[in-house]
Amino acid sequence: MKDKSETPPALADADSPPARRAHLFELFLLFSQLGLSSFGGGVSAWIHRAFVEQRGWLDESEFAAAMALGRIMPGANVVNLAVIVGERLRGAAGAVVAALGLLVGPTLAVIALAVVYGRFAEVPMVGVVLEGVAASAVGLIIAMGIATGTHAIRVAAESRPRMLHGAAAALVIIATFASVGVLRFPTALTVLCLAPLSVARAFFASSSEREDDGR
Amino acid sequence: MDDNRTLITLVLILLPLSLVSIGGGASIFAEIQHQAVTVQGWMTQREFAGLFALSRAAPGPGALLVPLVGWKMAGWVGALVASLAFFVPSSLLVFGAAHLWNRWRGFRWHAAIEAGLAPIAVGLILAGAYAILRSTGPGLPACVVAAAVAVARIWQPRLHPLVLLALGAALFSIIASLT
Repeated sequence: MKDKSETPPALADADSPPARRAHLFELFLLFSQLGLSSFGGGVSAWIHRAFVEQRGWLDESEFAAAMALGRIMPGANVVNLAVIVGERLRGAAGAVVAALGLLVGPTLAVIALAVVYGRFAEVPMVGVVLEGVAASAVGLIIAMGIATGTHAIRVAAESRPRMLHGAAAALVIIATFASVGVLRFPTALTVLCLAPLSVARAFFASSSEREDDGR
Repeated sequence: MDDNRTLITLVLILLPLSLVSIGGGASIFAEIQHQAVTVQGWMTQREFAGLFALSRAAPGPGALLVPLVGWKMAGWVGALVASLAFFVPSSLLVFGAAHLWNRWRGFRWHAAIEAGLAPIAVGLILAGAYAILRSTGPGLPACVVAAAVAVARIWQPRLHPLVLLALGAALFSIIASLT
């Protein structure tokens, strides 16, 4: 948090503004709110909306990197994402507060639900409604994937030759989806195979035109 | 005394799971189910399915199943112990990784890794969505609703997601009752 001395000055101050804007209590409340709103799952889509779309505390690339990191590390993906976002905005305290916010409220809610569920009989309609909410939450995730995806392709296509870099990024999206989603290969293995290729492409892209760095 | 043994067993199951469960979701639940139902005999398959359904019905991360299982076993203390055992180790690890990651911000290779990971993250996001759709069984209604909500979300970004969830659930119920 404190020592920014190692980062180049030009980017170091692009680094600090979001950190100053987020207060710990605000971060806790925000994550609680997201946790308690995300019916049917799709918490990451809510986090994307709150932090990237509405407040601009993270840009699309930072968010995508946080998503990837959260998914390849062990643990619950969304909790990992909260820890990474919290760390980015407010360091260790931010990470603690983000994870607590995401977990405490919803845990109390689910236990309250368990108490009620123990007393009342099952309502058949509820099952259908829940399935519908879960399907809708998938829609939120898909929309986030499309937003993040178009951004990733657009950033890649800033390098010349544009078509080639854009197509390469799109190909990585398709390959990752096919490997994990359709062929059900393990996430870690897939990332281990595709990430070096994708990162190498991005590295060559950045070395071929140094004047802009796409941020 | 017996409660203590349950708590210790919970920790012994969840702590390692926290550190090996890569990819989250289904892999974790399958293992917890195996342990709780088959190995420990803490609950019946039906009871576990009930807890799983509850964790899906409540808002928040799907991993809420973990504190819920702890609560079922040993009340509030159980929920707390299960949460700590499951969330703290992996969170510490990811915190360390995030800390390093943000510390190197500003270098060219850092920007390249970030840019290179972005399309992979997108592929993983879409694969996750696809996995959920597939796990709900042969669901044309689910696919229609998911697609409709995605289009609406992109077309009307100012619309609150809760409105979309409500409309999507209504649409799903209508389609489900027609078919």
